[in-house]
Amino acid sequence: MGFKIKVLLSKLGLDVHNRGLMTVAKELRDAGMEVIVLGNSLPREIIHTAIQEGVDVVGVSSLGGAHLTLGGELIEQAKKEGLIENTVFIIGGVFPPDDAKQLEEIGFDRAFMTGATKEEIVSSIERRVSEKRERSD
Amino acid sequence: MEEKRTTKEILQKRLSNEKRTPLYRPDVLERLREEFEKWKNRIVSKEDRENWHTIPRTILGSDLPREMLYTPLSHPDFDYMQDLGYSGQEPFTRGIHPNMYRGKEFTMRQLTGFGGPEETNQRIKFMLDHGATGLNVLFDLPTIQMYDSDDPLSKGQVGMSGVAVDSIEDMEILFKDIPLDKVTISLVTHYPSNTAILFPMFLALAERRGIPWDKLRGSVQNDITLEEVVRSGPEYIPPKNCFRIQCDNIEFIRQRVPLWNFVTYNGYNLREFGTSGVTEMAVALANAIATIEEMLRRGHEVDWVAERIAFFWSPASDFFEEVARIRGVRRLWYKIMKYRFHARSPRSMWMRCHVQTSGVSLMREEPLNNIVRAAYHALAAVLGGVQSLHVDSYDEAYSVPTEEAALLSLRTQQIIQAETGITEVVDPLGGSFYVEALTNEIEARILDEVDEIEKRGGYINAIEAGWLHQKISEFFYKEREMIEKGVIKLVGYNLYKTPLELPSIHVFQYPEGVEERQKARLARLREKRDHEKVDAALRALEEACKRGTNILPYSVECARVGCSEGEIFKVFKKAFGLWKPPVFW
Repeated sequence: MGFKIKVLLSKLGLDVHNRGLMTVAKELRDAGMEVIVLGNSLPREIIHTAIQEGVDVVGVSSLGGAHLTLGGELIEQAKKEGLIENTVFIIGGVFPPDDAKQLEEIGFDRAFMTGATKEEIVSSIERRVSEKRERSD
Repeated sequence: MEEKRTTKEILQKRLSNEKRTPLYRPDVLERLREEFEKWKNRIVSKEDRENWHTIPRTILGSDLPREMLYTPLSHPDFDYMQDLGYSGQEPFTRGIHPNMYRGKEFTMRQLTGFGGPEETNQRIKFMLDHGATGLNVLFDLPTIQMYDSDDPLSKGQVGMSGVAVDSIEDMEILFKDIPLDKVTISLVTHYPSNTAILFPMFLALAERRGIPWDKLRGSVQNDITLEEVVRSGPEYIPPKNCFRIQCDNIEFIRQRVPLWNFVTYNGYNLREFGTSGVTEMAVALANAIATIEEMLRRGHEVDWVAERIAFFWSPASDFFEEVARIRGVRRLWYKIMKYRFHARSPRSMWMRCHVQTSGVSLMREEPLNNIVRAAYHALAAVLGGVQSLHVDSYDEAYSVPTEEAALLSLRTQQIIQAETGITEVVDPLGGSFYVEALTNEIEARILDEVDEIEKRGGYINAIEAGWLHQKISEFFYKEREMIEKGVIKLVGYNLYKTPLELPSIHVFQYPEGVEERQKARLARLREKRDHEKVDAALRALEEACKRGTNILPYSVECARVGCSEGEIFKVFKKAFGLWKPPVFW
């Protein structure tokens, strides 16, 4: 793509499950992206860090049921800070298919459920990043 | 100074003196070997001969090579009495009780917990009404992570993945109309820290109801591995302090709540996070060994501690490996207790365990397939001779199980117990050439990994140095790759995939208004409680943390006077400071 995609990954709130986030972190790095892992954080801290680091992608992981509450808040904050136009937001974890649809409706570029492959995650990030870049150029 | 010998060295030295009486006569074996070579060269195809060993690739598997056919030659020095014995007899390979399930059915212990204490109280009653014989109470994320429902960090997560408990007031509602002295209750307090906070609330509740603590039966988990290795959380106390709390819990509960199981070494969550079945068991044993050493150092007798130790395992998909693992670790635990610690009571040598079928082995695609997977996991566990069982529900790759799915899990257990006839005969797979060879192999590998941990300076050092963190991340990256390449075959996911749309699935809906209700209750508590008593109790707890005496009497007092969970955790953080766990990715 000619530039290095910068990604911020974080666990939403108090979720204890770490495996998904660490796996995605490594796979994105292996795919040539620059990855920052923030650990457990609240939406406000995530957005704050995203602005500070100037990332292209914000990815959050939620397996504990808070995907809609905290995920929704994350998108709200992103809109308030004007980040939603030029930053790609992805969420992954354990949630029902209807919730995945809802997450994409409220503003996530993609909601990945368990079973998403490396190929799917990497290619959809790359595609969305270039779409958003073109639009904001 | 003499160098300290490892558990493996002690066992090897002791067992090499033991005279073996092999079951197979040397001349018979010789004859078998000749026939075997003839058969292999004349009847077996060249291709099969060349691929005599294959490795089953499964989720969470140990990658142990398997022969095409097992024979007496697979374990030629098989000594019946030394390797197996009879059930309820040393070395307990065949089971800890002589009559196993004829005498005592496995406990059907399903996990329960969501929403506020009101909702979980209802679900507990539902499960008991449908024949569940034990209860596992699961706490929500803020409770597990030790933050109050009104903490900013808890927002949007109260009552999710478990039940919200902030104080003794919530415990009271959670166990409303449930006779604490009649039902065995497992409080799934994963961590030593939250065990030291939540179990005292349970004890204080028993006190309120006039039930003496020596009538209470049940268990807590209380495992450092979960708090410092498996967990992802915002704040961690240092491993040394965490281990001390683990041991304080054990000591206090043993002294004051004698029928309670004070520790359940939790291999389950570690394995599900990402390790083989061998590492799962090696780590749990290393932690148990470290605990017993600490208890001896504190001046206690080995049997006093060891009689109530219990384990928690994750049976996954490699069916025979799972059966062999449970048998193998049972024999190894016996050897450790007898030869390393010189335990005298047979109870100390019993590897008692609860199992839960593997959650990460469940797939989101074609969810009904998970019913079949979990049933095989459960079957392996029962054939291995476990004491109690939880069967995962098919919808858990989506959410917390619905009532219907939870009932189906319970029914899976009841069908094994009532309809298959499996429980009539003790250790039905014992004596199979395959199962016995695999049991030997797995036992040896577990001991090798215990040895590796001990040579790294013991379990706590292995955590601090990040050895275990690194091992886990290597394991799950490799596993992920094998799944993506189709080396690990998963029906409906990377094998026999249907091009159809995902079927719609009825999923669990969390009750609404739980967070507000919890916050309001907490506000009322903070208003009405005796502030001087609360401050004094928290101060006394902090002093005890710093002084090094057992902290439990102080945290029980905190629970009595209405301290909240978050307030007590703050004391730990203040007294011990924070630790940053190593991260590998």
